[in-house]
Amino acid sequence: MPNRSGGSFRVFPAILAIPLLFYGCFTCALADGVGRPSPEAVLDARYELVLDLVRHTATYSPPVASRAFAYFGVIGYEATASGRTDMASLVGQLRDLKRLPKREAGAAYDEAAVLDAALSSATRRFFDNTGPTGQRAMKAMDAKFTPTVVAELPAEVAERSQAYGKALTAAVSDWADGDGRNEIPNMGFPLEYKLKDGAEHWRPTSTIAQQQAPLLPDWGNTRTFAMPEGATCDLPAPQLFSTEKTSTFYKEAQEVDDTVAHLTSEQKEIARFWSDDPMLSTTPAGHWIQIAFQLSDKLGLSIDKRVDLLARLGVTTADAFIACWQTKYEYETVRPLTYVRANIDPKFTPLLITPPFPEYPSGHSTQSGAAAAVLTRFFGNKFAYEDSSHIRDGLPPRKFSNFWAAAEEAATSRFYGGIHFRTAIERGLDQGRCVGGYANALKTRN
Amino acid sequence: MRRLAILTLALVFSAHASAAEDPPPPHFAEIAAASGIRASYDGDWQYMVGGGVAAFDCAHDGRPSVLIAGGESKARFFRNVSKSGGAPQFQLQTSGLELEAMVGAYPIDIDGDGEVDLVVLRVGEIDLMRGVGNCRFENANAAWGFESQDAWWTAFSATWEKSEKWPTLAFGSYVDRTKDQPWGTCTQNLLYRPARENGEPQRRFAAPLSLSPSFCPLSMLFTDWNRSGAPSLRIANDREYYEGGQEQMWRLSPGETPHLYTEAEGWKYLRIWGMGIASYDLGGSGYPDYFVTSMADQKLLRVDRPGGGAPANPSFSDIGYGKGVAVAKPYAGGDPRPGTGWHAQFEDVTNSGLVDLFVAKGNVASMKDFAAKDPNNLLMQRADGTFVEMGDKAGIVSFEQARGAALADFNLSGAVDILVVNRNAPAQLWSNDTPNLGHWIELQALQDGYNRNAIGGWIELRVGDRVQRRELTIGGGHAGGQLTWVHFGLGSASQADVRVIWPDGTVDDWRPVECDAFYRLRKGEAPARWVAN
Repeated sequence: MPNRSGGSFRVFPAILAIPLLFYGCFTCALADGVGRPSPEAVLDARYELVLDLVRHTATYSPPVASRAFAYFGVIGYEATASGRTDMASLVGQLRDLKRLPKREAGAAYDEAAVLDAALSSATRRFFDNTGPTGQRAMKAMDAKFTPTVVAELPAEVAERSQAYGKALTAAVSDWADGDGRNEIPNMGFPLEYKLKDGAEHWRPTSTIAQQQAPLLPDWGNTRTFAMPEGATCDLPAPQLFSTEKTSTFYKEAQEVDDTVAHLTSEQKEIARFWSDDPMLSTTPAGHWIQIAFQLSDKLGLSIDKRVDLLARLGVTTADAFIACWQTKYEYETVRPLTYVRANIDPKFTPLLITPPFPEYPSGHSTQSGAAAAVLTRFFGNKFAYEDSSHIRDGLPPRKFSNFWAAAEEAATSRFYGGIHFRTAIERGLDQGRCVGGYANALKTRN
Repeated sequence: MRRLAILTLALVFSAHASAAEDPPPPHFAEIAAASGIRASYDGDWQYMVGGGVAAFDCAHDGRPSVLIAGGESKARFFRNVSKSGGAPQFQLQTSGLELEAMVGAYPIDIDGDGEVDLVVLRVGEIDLMRGVGNCRFENANAAWGFESQDAWWTAFSATWEKSEKWPTLAFGSYVDRTKDQPWGTCTQNLLYRPARENGEPQRRFAAPLSLSPSFCPLSMLFTDWNRSGAPSLRIANDREYYEGGQEQMWRLSPGETPHLYTEAEGWKYLRIWGMGIASYDLGGSGYPDYFVTSMADQKLLRVDRPGGGAPANPSFSDIGYGKGVAVAKPYAGGDPRPGTGWHAQFEDVTNSGLVDLFVAKGNVASMKDFAAKDPNNLLMQRADGTFVEMGDKAGIVSFEQARGAALADFNLSGAVDILVVNRNAPAQLWSNDTPNLGHWIELQALQDGYNRNAIGGWIELRVGDRVQRRELTIGGGHAGGQLTWVHFGLGSASQADVRVIWPDGTVDDWRPVECDAFYRLRKGEAPARWVAN
């Protein structure tokens, strides 16, 4: 797994079903000399770098990160499925994905080499804009890790496998070009934006110059993956705006104010555990990807199951952000920070930094609902687990009785954090459940 | 003679200045080549940060010479041979400071012998370079019991703790440069205090203390944020590399283990790409504000004083946006992407009596999400306390990748010049040729024996009922500092009163000084006029 808890890296023989890959030392493979990495180890190593790059690339706000995880999921899946007769391609199942290259009939391929080449070129494709340290890390991994993957392979097998992996990524990249989201100018903040009139609508919540316009207002029109379109899982209108003390809107705001004023240590811990801030974490989508890796390792899942899970999870969290953003900009609802300070408590200070975009629905709720739907279908509805995603950031693991319990906690964390009203988190989960259904409907087995 | 006639700028100096009126722009001419400055901060990944410049008088002639870090190239020392009031002139000279892998340097008189020493930050080790006279230096690590450790050194500050005759040095280090994926590998910051034997202070350093947790600082500054008499260590950390990190401030009490201020004590959670620190009492409150450079929005942090009295907690609010100094994007060159700030420094470049702000800008390398054309900022203060960009009008627009800088009066003309170190490109020196400058005064506070430059003290200048003040510090900026005259603009005023609040808390009487002159200030003595030779 991409174990972000520190330690040294090892590459184990391909026969091991559970790779033990640790952060930051993929070069140790050279010293260990214990054999070629398995496809599972390749998946781990490559995703480890991707998770770091998401955290350290400025344009990778949560929606943008989810898009990358979707394409990486598809690439990893197709790299594996293309070599097996028991797995079905996603061609024709994902929007506008009409064709992908096929392998040469009867020719020998090495699965680890195909996967490594595909994910390596995908990393360079999607993180071309990362900073000097990311560029250096990509270069080092290709220089030091890839040779261990192809070591001892017949030259023609290595070349054929790598060529196929690269061709596959090139084809997925062409498909990705069609969604119009390759370039994210100004980190996603429009240079000009006309705010909607009326106190019910979003207003900037910080004095950060860049964030005087909201993040990615057009993201709801992004091409979806498994979900038919951005509005497929649209939600009813938010609570009717009112400053009357008897109104539901006021009461929900009062509830946020009261809750934030009396947070328990447990509630603070929950808010921070799921904060998943851009450029300080792997983002909400990356958090669920980390959970998937932790569980895949714990259960010793084989590569076919791992890539199946990562594809569905990547696709659904991306669709969830599109659905959520479509609804957010349909209503452009005011944040608690603005409303509470204006109408209830001028000194109201949320625990979490209020994100620079409209309130309704809660993005973390929508995508956590979608992720829970996928993970529940995959592992079952009674799967208890421990989430240790944030150990390196000093946050202790949290235990959950099942995925919906985790998703509900993730959603509620935004309420504790003082950045969402109750309706936004409850309906966000509903929206996520709807979105997740489409990823669950993908056919991956023949 | 450049002087006078910026008469309507400063609030207290003119009753006619409107609240938001823009000040007349300054003007500079780029003269690096003509002045003899030929230097560049070179290198790849390990030199993406740093590029500092130290400005200091090592010839006892009042003129600030400069040491410019070279990264992969050797550092270069340029002796200042300017004629007073003439064009800035420098001579490349062998000094003993021609070290490789230099990230930055700060001047400081460690041993109190009256010869300026240099603290040199390098990729690999720290060098304490003792001044031996006539702008020559030698390594004194062994002589001063200084145990350098292997790291990527990127930040420094110094103070003299209460009753100590030997300085306390704080060093910040960056990531573990041996890692291919160095995120989350911030190495240890270290604090070197004076050594003691049998309770007796020694003229050398004790083994260092670890300032843990460490979060990849690019600047640090000992500063007395609450005027307690015991400076704290403010650290600007680069969020690109830490995990679980944030901005930091350590409280130092003599003889006690450093204490990291916590949220429970009022410290606010702030996570930025902290790269440089500049401080100045902009509000006239007696408490310094801190300008912290970053990527996109820059921060101007003012201590919270709900009742208007002394700050109760180390709680700071960002007032940068309202003051016009957030400067997230380039103002020239047409690049709409966010900028990247490095060295910052407050100086009054028109002698208006209102301090201005310079920010060195430049892409980290070739980061596509950030501006490639990212000109340095010159933010001129208006009478209402807001700032307006005038880098373009001032003639200092440059699209090089700036890093360190030093704003100083290199030719003893009374006007502040700007020296900027660029990454993989020649350094630039902008000579201040603003017409009709206001009056000025330049001051040095000096002590005998130890802490000769009165670090930790304050110089205050009063015109009418308005006081400008400057904390005397070593540290901050980006990878470099100045130990030279403290410059104040006077606007149209021809006289002022000055006093020093000395590091031991002694407050001198106000004493009159004439404009357009240099003075040396000693405890309990009348200001001594200094005339350039």
